[in-house]
Amino acid sequence: MSTTFVLPVGFASADLFNWLETAAPHELDDLPFGLVAMAHDGTVEHYNLAEARLSGLTPDRVIGRNFFTAVAPCTNNFMVAYRFESEPELDSVVDYVFTFRLAPMKVRLRLLQHHGARHMYLAVDKRD
Amino acid sequence: MDARPAPAYEELLEFLYLTPVGIIKFRPDGQIELANPMAAQLLMPLSEDGDLSDLYVLLAAVAPDLRASVERFLPTAGPICDDRRLVVLCARKILTLTINKINTGTLMAVIRDITRTVEQEVRIFDDQQRFRAIFDNIRDYAIYTVSLDGRVEEWNRTLSRIGGWEPADVTGAPISIFFPPGQAGKPQSSALLEHALQYGSAEFEGWRVRKDGSRFWGDSAATILPDREDKATGFVIITRDLTERKLREDGLVAQATTDPLTGALNRRAGEARLDDLFSRLQRSGQTFAVLMIDCDHFKAVNDRWGHSGGDKVLVSLVEICRDRLRDGDAVIRWGGEEFVLLLPNAHGENAVLVAERLRQSVEVATIEYNGNTIPVTISIGVATADKADVRAEEVVQRADEAMYRAKHAGRNQVAETTVTIFVTVSAPLRSDPHPPLCYSRGS
Repeated sequence: MSTTFVLPVGFASADLFNWLETAAPHELDDLPFGLVAMAHDGTVEHYNLAEARLSGLTPDRVIGRNFFTAVAPCTNNFMVAYRFESEPELDSVVDYVFTFRLAPMKVRLRLLQHHGARHMYLAVDKRD
Repeated sequence: MDARPAPAYEELLEFLYLTPVGIIKFRPDGQIELANPMAAQLLMPLSEDGDLSDLYVLLAAVAPDLRASVERFLPTAGPICDDRRLVVLCARKILTLTINKINTGTLMAVIRDITRTVEQEVRIFDDQQRFRAIFDNIRDYAIYTVSLDGRVEEWNRTLSRIGGWEPADVTGAPISIFFPPGQAGKPQSSALLEHALQYGSAEFEGWRVRKDGSRFWGDSAATILPDREDKATGFVIITRDLTERKLREDGLVAQATTDPLTGALNRRAGEARLDDLFSRLQRSGQTFAVLMIDCDHFKAVNDRWGHSGGDKVLVSLVEICRDRLRDGDAVIRWGGEEFVLLLPNAHGENAVLVAERLRQSVEVATIEYNGNTIPVTISIGVATADKADVRAEEVVQRADEAMYRAKHAGRNQVAETTVTIFVTVSAPLRSDPHPPLCYSRGS
């Protein structure tokens, strides 16, 4: 038996941020795309299962570290880290290449940040 | 759920994720098999659509010969390129590329971002170039570096321009060759360097010597060159030719100290000179004589020849005095038609002789004015300074009194007063302590 599971939001949903802010950890893990929830200084607070599968890193290893300097230094640049740092209101999709498990993979990144929110988020989805 | 990766595998993965250089495994046809995140980050600006599959395509703009280099490399293994510089203009980055052939089917590449290192190199190079340009082209400043023991190491062209020195004369030579010999035996250059060592820098102004032995007035600033521990390793000395300024200043000094009509010292400068002589007398006993000169019947000269005729007489008087005097003697316009002569180391008869010759010279001089000759005579009072004098003015006053005696005795003559040095209160030798000695004309 299989249950049809309807996701409340997608990678491109307009209300993704609001959903993420109220979602329970297991709901983040159910998302079909990678999701990293960070404190505003970049410390990883949730690293969902899809992201863990892509990168090959387990959430326990990653949580508590600074994402831009100690997990994915390839994002510590003006395209990703600098935008989080300089744009307090941020909702932007960026084409990028990640080398998950050392194989370059084209991805779309969605950078989300709102003033006064609990977290800032990096969503990672494959593209063709 | 899928099996979690073994910790060792995850650790290696993470190791490669965090490696700050780009590492790429690729095939001879350029297909990238593995790349770490830093490699992707460095190559991404070179990819038009984010496609990182073919290394040759990615590097076509910056290393178009890469495929050929790999194909030409015949050994089964070995280095193909080592730290080759790639300039990625679009990303304003400079990368280095190292490629090693592992076997016929596998190559490994390392890409590093050296933008900052290069920027630093460029900055240092620019600074050096800029410094070199300044060093060589500053026209008015001779710059040279000097070892701790005072020998010239490096120097710029200006040294030849302002000093006439050539490289062979200067390199390795002691800097004392640029300075005139010091007065107390020690060259000025040693004092300059000693000062700089003590205070970090020192600046001396004075005469400097050109190669041909001639002199120019210069300013030399010495600064120590410290090493990292702040210990002096040598000096840099900058010398400017200030001759023109010196001459201009001397001109200003002359303006401030001389009488504009006659060129004699003015009263203020004359009094200063008098004070100098007087304190030297007090200090070391070196005496001096004062001649007070007054032009006879000057009012009549003015009435007869006008003021410009009178001026001509005053100018001529000073010229005659100058002709008769030694270096070191001073002619002072004391006021109106009165002049004071200061004769260092002259006294008594000696000074009277000088005065008498002067009187005669004026008497026989032909002072031409508008085609006529103005006849002029002078009366001179002579006084010799003495250690018993308390103030310099006393000597001038005695000369003045003697001059009036000469006037009263008929003008055109020399009168002298001498101090009676050994006066005993109980038995005065003379009632007048300053008896006049009149030398009348023809007497």
